[in-house]
Amino acid sequence: MRYPRRIGRGSSPGRRVQLAAAAIVLVATTMAACSDGEDGAAQVSAPKAPAAIPELTKDPLTLSFIWFEWPPAQALEKFANEEYKKIRPNATIKVNTVPNANWHDAMFTQFAARKTDFDIAILDSQHIGEAVTNGNILDLTDFVKNNIDTSAYSPYLLAAYGQYPQAETGKRDESASLYGLPLLGDTWTMIYRKDLIGDKAPQTWDEMIAAATKCQADNPGVSGLAFHQANGSDAAAVTYNTVNGVYGGNLWDAKTRKIDGVLNDPAGQEAMDVLVNKMKPLTAKGSGNWFIDEVNAAVAQGKACIAFNWIAASGGLLDPKQSTLGKSREQILGKLGFATLPKQKTDLVPLGGMGMHVSAYSSAANQAEALNFMKWFEQADIQKKWAAAGGVPSRTDAIQSPEFLNAGPFNKVYADSVPRMRDMWNVPEYARLVDIENTNVNAALNGAKSPTDALNDIAKEQQSVLDSSGKKGGGGL
Amino acid sequence: MAVSVNEAVSAGPVPDHAPPARRRGFRGRSVLEVALLTALAVVMLFPVLWMIETSIKENRDVYAVPAKFFDFKVTLDHYRDVFVSSGGGGRSTLSVAFLNSVLVAGVSTVLATLLGVPAAWAYSRFSVKAKKDQLFFILSTRFMPPVVVVIPIFLMYRQVGLIDHPLGLILIYTAFNVPFTIWMMKGFVDEVPAEYEDAAMLDGYTRLQAFRKFTLPLLVPGIAATAVFALIFSWNEFVFAIFLTSSDNVRTAPPAIAGLIGGTTVDWGLVAASSVVFALPVLIFAYLVRKHLVAGVTLGAVRR
Amino acid sequence: MSAPVPLTTDRPGQVASTTPPARGRSRWLSDRRLAVAFIAPALLLLLAMSVFPLLWALYLSFTDYSATRGGAANWVWFGNYTAILTSAQVHLRALTTLIYVVGAVGLQTVLGFTIAYLISRRTHGRGLLTTLFLVPMMLSPVVVGLFWRFMLDAQFGVVNSMLGSLGLGQVEWLTKQRTALLSLIVVDTWQWTPFIMLIALAGLTAVPKYLYEAASIDRASEWFRFRTITLPLVWPLLLIAVLFRAIEAFRLFDLVYILTSGGPGVSTETLSFHVYKVAFLGFNTGTASAYGILMVLIVIVLTQLYLRYLNKLKED
Repeated sequence: MRYPRRIGRGSSPGRRVQLAAAAIVLVATTMAACSDGEDGAAQVSAPKAPAAIPELTKDPLTLSFIWFEWPPAQALEKFANEEYKKIRPNATIKVNTVPNANWHDAMFTQFAARKTDFDIAILDSQHIGEAVTNGNILDLTDFVKNNIDTSAYSPYLLAAYGQYPQAETGKRDESASLYGLPLLGDTWTMIYRKDLIGDKAPQTWDEMIAAATKCQADNPGVSGLAFHQANGSDAAAVTYNTVNGVYGGNLWDAKTRKIDGVLNDPAGQEAMDVLVNKMKPLTAKGSGNWFIDEVNAAVAQGKACIAFNWIAASGGLLDPKQSTLGKSREQILGKLGFATLPKQKTDLVPLGGMGMHVSAYSSAANQAEALNFMKWFEQADIQKKWAAAGGVPSRTDAIQSPEFLNAGPFNKVYADSVPRMRDMWNVPEYARLVDIENTNVNAALNGAKSPTDALNDIAKEQQSVLDSSGKKGGGGL
Repeated sequence: MAVSVNEAVSAGPVPDHAPPARRRGFRGRSVLEVALLTALAVVMLFPVLWMIETSIKENRDVYAVPAKFFDFKVTLDHYRDVFVSSGGGGRSTLSVAFLNSVLVAGVSTVLATLLGVPAAWAYSRFSVKAKKDQLFFILSTRFMPPVVVVIPIFLMYRQVGLIDHPLGLILIYTAFNVPFTIWMMKGFVDEVPAEYEDAAMLDGYTRLQAFRKFTLPLLVPGIAATAVFALIFSWNEFVFAIFLTSSDNVRTAPPAIAGLIGGTTVDWGLVAASSVVFALPVLIFAYLVRKHLVAGVTLGAVRR
Repeated sequence: MSAPVPLTTDRPGQVASTTPPARGRSRWLSDRRLAVAFIAPALLLLLAMSVFPLLWALYLSFTDYSATRGGAANWVWFGNYTAILTSAQVHLRALTTLIYVVGAVGLQTVLGFTIAYLISRRTHGRGLLTTLFLVPMMLSPVVVGLFWRFMLDAQFGVVNSMLGSLGLGQVEWLTKQRTALLSLIVVDTWQWTPFIMLIALAGLTAVPKYLYEAASIDRASEWFRFRTITLPLVWPLLLIAVLFRAIEAFRLFDLVYILTSGGPGVSTETLSFHVYKVAFLGFNTGTASAYGILMVLIVIVLTQLYLRYLNKLKED
């Protein structure tokens, strides 16, 4: 048997160090030269979209979207190809999907590459700041002024999916620029077992917790609550933000950019206490990494009395093939109720959903097509059709239409929730802020940190992210 | 003497090292050893069996508590879903991803072989300046964490437009496979006596002709083994794939399979079925090159 | 790269290869040209795809460059490096990585060697056994991560289901600080024990029979034979296997990404995973580059020390 053997001694280390040093200097100087040139050309702010839609091409064209993998993505592709083709037969719609966990990275790495394989990015509302600051998406202000009937929308919805800087909760700033238009509205719905806790949904957060406690005690094997707790995406963060809102807390003071002292004020602390000490004990063991699909699975398997989930992700609950609650949609609906979130000190609910944003790097022809698509999509009758096809519209008339309200049992919940919505921060540092909140809330929920420490850590770390501009090195740690 | 994995892996009777049983109690120990080995084998193989079982269960049974081991209805629906799109026929995104994997892994393997084999031959046959340094340098490029490499590669690719392009993945996989190919092939070339070529050259062949006519044919089994390992690496790779590609028609299978979770419902049956389909080629290939497994998994640093 | 790596074995062909062919000058020249023509393309590819990016990262590591924000990259000297080395966040990830590497590689070595030893003592079915044991190693980390996540699910997972039928309670495999890291170690061990086993088996099969025969004539005890004959002969190969596994484990990313995504909290975030967050959440490219360079340095330095120890061990 042969042992491994040293295959040789190094040549003089001195020489190698010199060579390496020379190479580094060489590359460093070239790079410096390169990057200067490149960055000089980089835009400081978002480029403007034309006020009127330019002439559209007659050649075959594929209009690409990017979204994450979930049923609304397939619904959009199907709907758009059926309906949009009626007015633009040469256009094909392609909705590229990536794993949810990879959604932000997939869009922003392409933005960073200054080349995108999508024409319309479906950004989360909080991604707008990052995209606008980096000049990744078009400024649609003039286009919207000339092509969209803004009075048809609840002002806050229009602001949430397009405006930057961010609007005050519930309002829209008419003088601020718009960078996107609503695609899919969304909020949390409370899903409750009518057969276990009664037909009437709990009206306050306290009532809800009491009902869940009783239900769990009465039904062994069924847990009282199921909600998002995972540390990926924005799962645990949205959960805390929701409770924070309901208990009268604030995420930050937008004007002074202050988080520390605002988020972790007494109201914030109370919200964290309710979440960790009152709600978490009612969840299933090991649910600390649950997100949308696990909560759905728990409901479908009859393992939860009360659950919270995004409306747009709830369609699968009515599918008898996935469910043990009944053999038909009607049977399942006999057991499942959908309601707006309970109130406590306030009636705030989380704003979900996404807008359409035009990539600054796609070709002129595709940008024109994208604008045309958006104008088409935001018409009253198309919004109603989108609602009937399983989408959640944003135009007030479409939200109130029977097409929408009858399409799903949870759509009424959305319609009732619109005036109550609140969003997170949409600043450029969003991805870091939400990661800090996610990991800390997740740690608190799973006993890796005390609730008080977790909340104070969130406030402190988020504050340092907001304040970190101008620091010499080490950003992002 | 050489350590032969061939010997270790071959199914034929191999003389036992241990002397025949002489004492009482030896038999008892042997039974204990067999029991222990069986237990370990069960533990190691259970997840694989469970994956196969999950892939043929209906989703209802997949979630059953307590788990159903035997009494479930067998269905092949998940396997159909791997290839056929659920929305009324057509090719599924997964099957497109499988084809992309075939393309990316295949081309990068061919490229790595074309670049690596001649280099290995040259390193083996000729006195090259600072040969050992060069060889160590080549090997060390494989030690870098992929998450680290992906950052500058990303910046580089965006300059030349290779982000979300199959060629981008092909190039980086080739670069990861070339060091491996050189190291593993050098071992194979070293085993072919240089005298063959010398003799051929005395007969009037040039060095290149001698290589092509006499050495290369002897290297074919080694090349095949090396190529299979390069193929397996590119086939299974995830980090570069997820950060350098995003669209359905470029994405390879590992990120596509990872994308099956995190929607609104998780179809574990489909995850299991696509995992089985995805693993099959690798298992078949690995079986084909079982004689070279040790060299293959250690970049040729430890050979048989 | 400092000293070369002693990882190869002696070969008969080596002798012929190191002596330049004793031929005319023109012949030697053409050989030389051939060597360059054959080696250069491979080296050029590595220069372009490995060295150049690494040097670029090295340059960026001294700046506050961000891949998305654009804007001029400001030179911050060692600002990134000192920030990383003094960051409590980084220390936490380093500790996690250390526990994981030591735990996983240690467990794999013990288990892998045990299995190899047991197999080497069998007369029948060795080929089949070896092949079966190797299956986990051939799977993609994505498949392994996903499927174990399913099996370890506290509510629906088969592991808890089996524990339940044994009368044991549910274990929160992936959502408690200790168990999550343990799960990561267990899954990695499941996948990579075969690797150690394979190499250990190669060593064990090579132990010459006559040594054992001599020992059994001396009526040496089983343990004595194992300690004085088997182990010393297998040890060097085993150490190399450990080195390979340690390097791989040190840069672990995909399993964390899929199995726990670093949770609960950040308790299973490895260094690689943290680099990913720095690089792609905040797009702090400069910091991430410095972080990456430090990781590469650690690998190279530790590998060198380890190899030196290995060589000393062999010379003794």
